[in-house]
Amino acid sequence: MTTAPAPMPHFNPRSVGRVTLRWVGIAGLLAFLVAPMVPLFIWSISFRWFYPDILPSEYSSRAWEQVISPTNNVLGSTWQTTLIALLVTVLSVLFGVPAGRALGLHNFRGKRIVEIMILAPIIVPGLAVVLGIDTMFIRYGLSGNIIGVSLVHLVPTLPYMTLVMSGVYANYDVDYELQARSLGAGRWATQRYVTLPAVFPGVVVGALFTFLISWSQYVLTLLIGDGQVQTLPILLFNFARSEPAIAGALSVVFILPGILVLLLSSKYLSGDSAAVGGIGNI
Amino acid sequence: MTQVKLSGLTKIFDAKNPPAVDQLDLDIDSGKLTALLGPSGCGKTTTMKMIAGLLRPTSGDILFDGNSILSIKPEERGAVMVFQNYLLFPYMSIADNIGFGLKMRKVSKKEIRSRVTDMLDLVQLPGFEDRKPNQLSGGQQQRIALARALIVEPNVLLLDEPLSNLDAHLRDEMRVLIRRIQTEMGITTVFVTHDQEEAVVLADKVALLFDGRLQQFDSPDAFYDTPRSAEIATFFGGTNFIPGHYQDGVMKTDIGNFKAPHSAVGDGAAMLSIRPEAIELGVGGDNSVAGTILSHVYAGRYARFQVKIGDLEIEAITEPGQVKLFGDGDTVPVNFAPDKIWILEANSTPQPVGADSAG
Amino acid sequence: MKMRLTEKGAQRLSISFLLAPALAVIILLFLGGLITGLLRSLNYFPLIGLNDFNFEAYVAIFTDNGFIQSLVLTFHIAFTSTLISCILAVAAALLLRPAFRGKRIVHFFFSLNLTIPHLVGAIGVLYLFQNSGLVSRIMTGLDLISKPADFPAMVFDPWAIGIIIQYVWKEIPFIGVIVLAILLSVGEDYESVARSLGANRWQAFRQVTLPLIMPGVVSASVIVFAFTFGAFEIPYLLGRTFPAALPVLAYQSYTDVDLAARPQAMAMAMVIAFISTLLIMAYMKLSRVYIRE
Repeated sequence: MTTAPAPMPHFNPRSVGRVTLRWVGIAGLLAFLVAPMVPLFIWSISFRWFYPDILPSEYSSRAWEQVISPTNNVLGSTWQTTLIALLVTVLSVLFGVPAGRALGLHNFRGKRIVEIMILAPIIVPGLAVVLGIDTMFIRYGLSGNIIGVSLVHLVPTLPYMTLVMSGVYANYDVDYELQARSLGAGRWATQRYVTLPAVFPGVVVGALFTFLISWSQYVLTLLIGDGQVQTLPILLFNFARSEPAIAGALSVVFILPGILVLLLSSKYLSGDSAAVGGIGNI
Repeated sequence: MTQVKLSGLTKIFDAKNPPAVDQLDLDIDSGKLTALLGPSGCGKTTTMKMIAGLLRPTSGDILFDGNSILSIKPEERGAVMVFQNYLLFPYMSIADNIGFGLKMRKVSKKEIRSRVTDMLDLVQLPGFEDRKPNQLSGGQQQRIALARALIVEPNVLLLDEPLSNLDAHLRDEMRVLIRRIQTEMGITTVFVTHDQEEAVVLADKVALLFDGRLQQFDSPDAFYDTPRSAEIATFFGGTNFIPGHYQDGVMKTDIGNFKAPHSAVGDGAAMLSIRPEAIELGVGGDNSVAGTILSHVYAGRYARFQVKIGDLEIEAITEPGQVKLFGDGDTVPVNFAPDKIWILEANSTPQPVGADSAG
Repeated sequence: MKMRLTEKGAQRLSISFLLAPALAVIILLFLGGLITGLLRSLNYFPLIGLNDFNFEAYVAIFTDNGFIQSLVLTFHIAFTSTLISCILAVAAALLLRPAFRGKRIVHFFFSLNLTIPHLVGAIGVLYLFQNSGLVSRIMTGLDLISKPADFPAMVFDPWAIGIIIQYVWKEIPFIGVIVLAILLSVGEDYESVARSLGANRWQAFRQVTLPLIMPGVVSASVIVFAFTFGAFEIPYLLGRTFPAALPVLAYQSYTDVDLAARPQAMAMAMVIAFISTLLIMAYMKLSRVYIRE
């Protein structure tokens, strides 16, 4: 053992500078991300906000009253948007979970083609397909109503749900089911007590984001809804140029489910999960 | 050849927790192989990362040949660390992995190629240039990681658990290889391990750390023969402890008085320690007491006996033939050879014998 | 042998059963929509007596200067947005990687953008950057400009700056979250090895970190590029009417009172779909290359 000199606290100005730089960077990043929300919120509570005032000269709850007033069509529109999103979510789960299971658990001939077919609707922009779909839907009377709009929303949501579930099932060990069967569980009991609990968190996260993708859909609704189906984004777009106060308030309403979904699912959400890949569609 | 000196080296990650490394002083001999030994979480890897410059010490100093190197960036220290899980860059070929350090030093491609070939010969994997890391076994990856470090001719080579991810026979091969290369190249080498056997077999000197503190820095045999505490003795395998009073070279205990010329402490309350393999059954003499055999295990290369002496139970490991001589319930003389007894501080709290049940 | 065959047959059957509903929906809607669009773009429309194929719509749009300008503009928007988003997202992920106080909250705000619809971001960008927007007001307050007209055109502008800002705003967290997840799962040890072997900070990033995150960056970029290339509402809200981004132009043609413009709209939709298909193929190829490594 040697006798050491009294320990000196180690201080490095370079590393202090780097830490400061990091915080400046983080602050800048967050400011940039929050910035577009700021005028929306201010507009929603403003009454008079003329150029060049940085803040409104008068505030009012007018826009919010209009948004929640039953005489206005905002409430009806919110309800309609929710209804469509729920319908789309149910259908996506019903069709997407089995398909995800097939892709995640099994290898089969033609799997590559199936994967491409599932991936294609996520990458091919909605506008490229919706014009053709519109032509078909007009013929079959699916244009201008909720059913048609819900169906067309399946184009981005169903592949997304399938991909999420395929990822979930890929990490699921099917031997659990065999173990359950050997312990005397029937086919349905196995699904109910073994498989479902294992994949349930994935289904929930997938369903939440499916809801959100449908909730945020603009161009598909615009074309297939044909002015008859006025979801929130359609309304929001119409107010954006003419009524900034109402557009501001509507925006706040419009982003609430997303924040809620993120709070509910943040512990499952990481960049390597398929859940993130599909969010490119929101 | 570089002499490394740690002086009051301390690392605190979180003020709420005790220091990961606490006031560590260590003189690491140049050109020798030194082990940093300790249970997981004792601060050994942290110490190594500080030497490599990958972690900044909270306080204290690190000196290479007498000069502080704290302000020198990791890439300029010449202290190269080989990680436990090898960390070969997955997208690079083996040749590119080994040549990485030379490429960073802007060595010509031609020279890199020829030195990579030399290195592959050295680690006995000739012709592996164009393979990818995922095509190699764990042992081969370990050799490549070693070659990648050695090619830059480091002043100090730092190996983090170099053998722990290998299975038994690869471990022996790797031991031999590390020892051979280290002796040939004479690089000051520090390696981290949690396995006392590995430390003893490989190292010239062992530094034992518990909870970030240096317990003992010695040659390997000293940890067996003259541990500084009961805790250290326990870490190096099961030992029998008998409390008592030490005076004038004699240890007085409840089960008798023993001559004990070697001691870590002066006169007063003390703890006698003796390894199970040092206890002789059926041998009488001055340092012998009577004991009753409680049970025994035949283990092929040795035999193990549980022996009751007074109220104490001790363990003896003998050559296997002794199971034929003594049976359970027999009363036999039990000899404590004076040279094998080591007297420790009384207030250290020994683990009960047999807590370390490794055979 | 016979046993195995039936078992395999049963498995194939059950796989088909699992896939059938989803594939039916995708074939009917997605492929159906694409094929209908394709036929329509080739002037095939038996309902109104058009029973022959021709390429008139494609000839018409590719000889139209306006369409070419739209195509160039759309490429500019997609390429610039993707490039800037990638660079800033990687920087952001590096910034957010190490442990720091409040990391959880910062990460939450970072991923919050993922859930905010593009349309809301676009309106926010509009209210920030239009001539009388919040930024312009602040600059007036700072005496940097004196009237709205002095403010540089950032929305409805020829360079599509507002559109690009909106995409960058939205896609930094998207790419960033993916890169951050890779960085966190890979850990910092590879860089430590590189530093220990003599690489400086920049070399360690360039030679080690970047190749490790590249697969994630590339696959995220393909999604972002395809999205920014084909998205409608953002250029519809923030862009010029002429030249408009390709999806906006297609929509305008589709809703044109002159029904003769419809095949051209469909042709544009097919061009968008074709370019996206190329992207998917590139993506699959890249992902296969990276999986092999």
